[in-house]
Amino acid sequence: MTQNGTVVRLSGVRKTFGAHTAVDDFDLAIEPGTIYGLLGPNGSGKTTTIRMMMGILLPDGGSVELFGGAPDFARRSRVGYLPEERGVYEKMKVLDQLVFFGEIRGVARSLARTRAEEWLERLGLSEWASKKVQALSKGMQQKVQFISTVLHDPELLILDEPFSGLDPINQDVLEEIVLEEKERGKTILFSTHLMEQAERLCERVCLISRARKVLDDDLKELKRRERTGVVAVEFEDEAPPVVSWPDVLQVEEAGDALHLTLHDGVRPEGILAQVVAEGASLRRFELLEPRLHEIFVRHAGDPGADDAPSRTGGAS
Amino acid sequence: MKQVWSVIRREYVERVKTRAFILSTLGMPLLMIGIMAVIGFVAVLSEQSERQIALIDLNGQLGERVQEALDQAGYDVELAAPGTSVEDLDQQVLDEELEAYIVLDDATASDAVFAYRSKEPPGGVRSQLMRSAIVEEVVDLRLGEMEDGDSVRRLFQGGSLEYEPVGLDEEEAEEAEAERITGMITGIAGGIILYIMMLAYGAQTLQSVLEEKQSRVVELVISSLRPWQLMLGKIVGVGAVGLTQVAIWIACVALLASLALPTLIAAASDFEELAQFRQYLPGPGAVLLLVVFFLLGYFLYSSLFAAVGAMCRNLQEAGQTQAPLIFLIIIPFMLQMMTFQGNNMQWMNWVALFPFFSPIMMYPRAVMGDVPAWMVAVSIVLMALTVWGSAWVAGRIYKVGILSQGSRPSPRELLRWIRDA
Repeated sequence: MTQNGTVVRLSGVRKTFGAHTAVDDFDLAIEPGTIYGLLGPNGSGKTTTIRMMMGILLPDGGSVELFGGAPDFARRSRVGYLPEERGVYEKMKVLDQLVFFGEIRGVARSLARTRAEEWLERLGLSEWASKKVQALSKGMQQKVQFISTVLHDPELLILDEPFSGLDPINQDVLEEIVLEEKERGKTILFSTHLMEQAERLCERVCLISRARKVLDDDLKELKRRERTGVVAVEFEDEAPPVVSWPDVLQVEEAGDALHLTLHDGVRPEGILAQVVAEGASLRRFELLEPRLHEIFVRHAGDPGADDAPSRTGGAS
Repeated sequence: MKQVWSVIRREYVERVKTRAFILSTLGMPLLMIGIMAVIGFVAVLSEQSERQIALIDLNGQLGERVQEALDQAGYDVELAAPGTSVEDLDQQVLDEELEAYIVLDDATASDAVFAYRSKEPPGGVRSQLMRSAIVEEVVDLRLGEMEDGDSVRRLFQGGSLEYEPVGLDEEEAEEAEAERITGMITGIAGGIILYIMMLAYGAQTLQSVLEEKQSRVVELVISSLRPWQLMLGKIVGVGAVGLTQVAIWIACVALLASLALPTLIAAASDFEELAQFRQYLPGPGAVLLLVVFFLLGYFLYSSLFAAVGAMCRNLQEAGQTQAPLIFLIIIPFMLQMMTFQGNNMQWMNWVALFPFFSPIMMYPRAVMGDVPAWMVAVSIVLMALTVWGSAWVAGRIYKVGILSQGSRPSPRELLRWIRDA
């Protein structure tokens, strides 16, 4: 953590739309320099939360702070915001559009142009610079929109479902950029319903389900805590009689490997010692950590199943 | 302010570059000329008939005169041989050998009433041309029988009012007359320009707001700009496009007057009379006043159009919601049309003070000298105040509206938007 204060802080935030509660009693604190994942199924309240951070929606209760104060105009201009709905001026040329967005965020026209050209080059869109945006594919439009998000070099990036609609190659490109921005000291918050993506990128995650926060923790910490005491072992030759070992509660075959469930309080090192004592040769020995997906299911039900019954799609 | 400037530039550049703008700016004058040419052409075309028109003279005095007069009017008419009966001609019409025939009888010779017999009624142009040709011949015929025929003929030409200015010499009087005509032309042209501009560019502001709202771009823009800045930038940008268009039109007229006209006159002295056209061109004062009224009227309406755009979800909704604004623009135009037709009543000058009507109703009055200067000044002040008030209201509606994705607000909700924004 750096010396600057908390970048985003939500306290007891609530937002309702008529009878529907979109976000309820929501607390969140994002420290500078982290990559924070806001996870949850479609319709769970991620976008509403983000819109409140950007001052687009006002909370019905609780408070929202950006850089230690109200999300006013000056503070919002330090944020690079990529909304979930991809808004572009379809009839404008790509470069003109980027320069415009740079300008309204306070970047001088010539600098905005230089930066936009660099970014277009980097994302492989140089030859499209003077084409109208409507001539671009959805994926390309999304890259253009991403560029407009980062053109003014903001301290905080708020990306709402940044990966949806991108092919795997471009998802990788975007992931790389996000990690690079973090290296440059930026704070990044992104929402996603894709657990693998979050697992690869995030340092901290916040799980939302049905308008409420379910989990909010350091990802490594979370995985350690959620560890189920299962060890995966694979042997070069014949497997020793693991079932009869006193520390082992249960054995499950998983392909070439054996998944050993240990008794409560048993340290995995004991198993390792036993293997050595038996003289068996190991190919693999691993403390199995739960996938984020499993953690989510454990706490909130299947994230593949949407909270909002009317919508479909999402990760499985 | 720099950001507002960026919005203005974007709005202006993107609009001026469009084909629609180029077409409407350059095309409009051409279109007008084109339409007039087509109307004339169609009128002439419809008068060319393949089949013959005949003329039967039962009275015996008019036949040849009328034939000649109709010939001059462009109708090749055949005079029926003596002894031909009406029944014969009817049969020819039924057999489609004749298109029509005209019966000249005693009633024609006395009252210029004549029958046009055909299967189809004559078109408007034909009725007009034939009637006036025949009436003229009958009048001539009758006057020729009278002693003081020539004097009566002059009477028929309409007499003449000869204005004799007191206290002005001839030259001054001519100038005053030219000024009056100039005011008339400027007033009518200005009123129509203001009407078109407020309707067209108000609608463009609405469209621009709606587009941003529908495409959700506004969510991006508004994170960097205050809503009023965005609205102001839009209105100014679109307005600048409007001014550009008017400026181009005015420049065209000026160019025509200063370059094309002298060349034309030099080439063909027949057109010499056209040179007078130049003295009726408005002076810089009238043009400046037009700009003032345009700016005030445009700001007044476009801010309200922007608010309507922000309230609605799509063009259909906007179409209904903008109706009151459209009426506010059309009503003064109708009233002004009555004035142009010479029905100016004193109380209308007071109606023209109503700020929403002022651009279209006060400007022509100002340049035609129908109202005292203080009234024009009061009108400008009233409009400026109204612009300020409507911008305040519209700004508040806009602020809430552009980010609301819900249905159009009811009047009560709208009041709450205005109060709470």
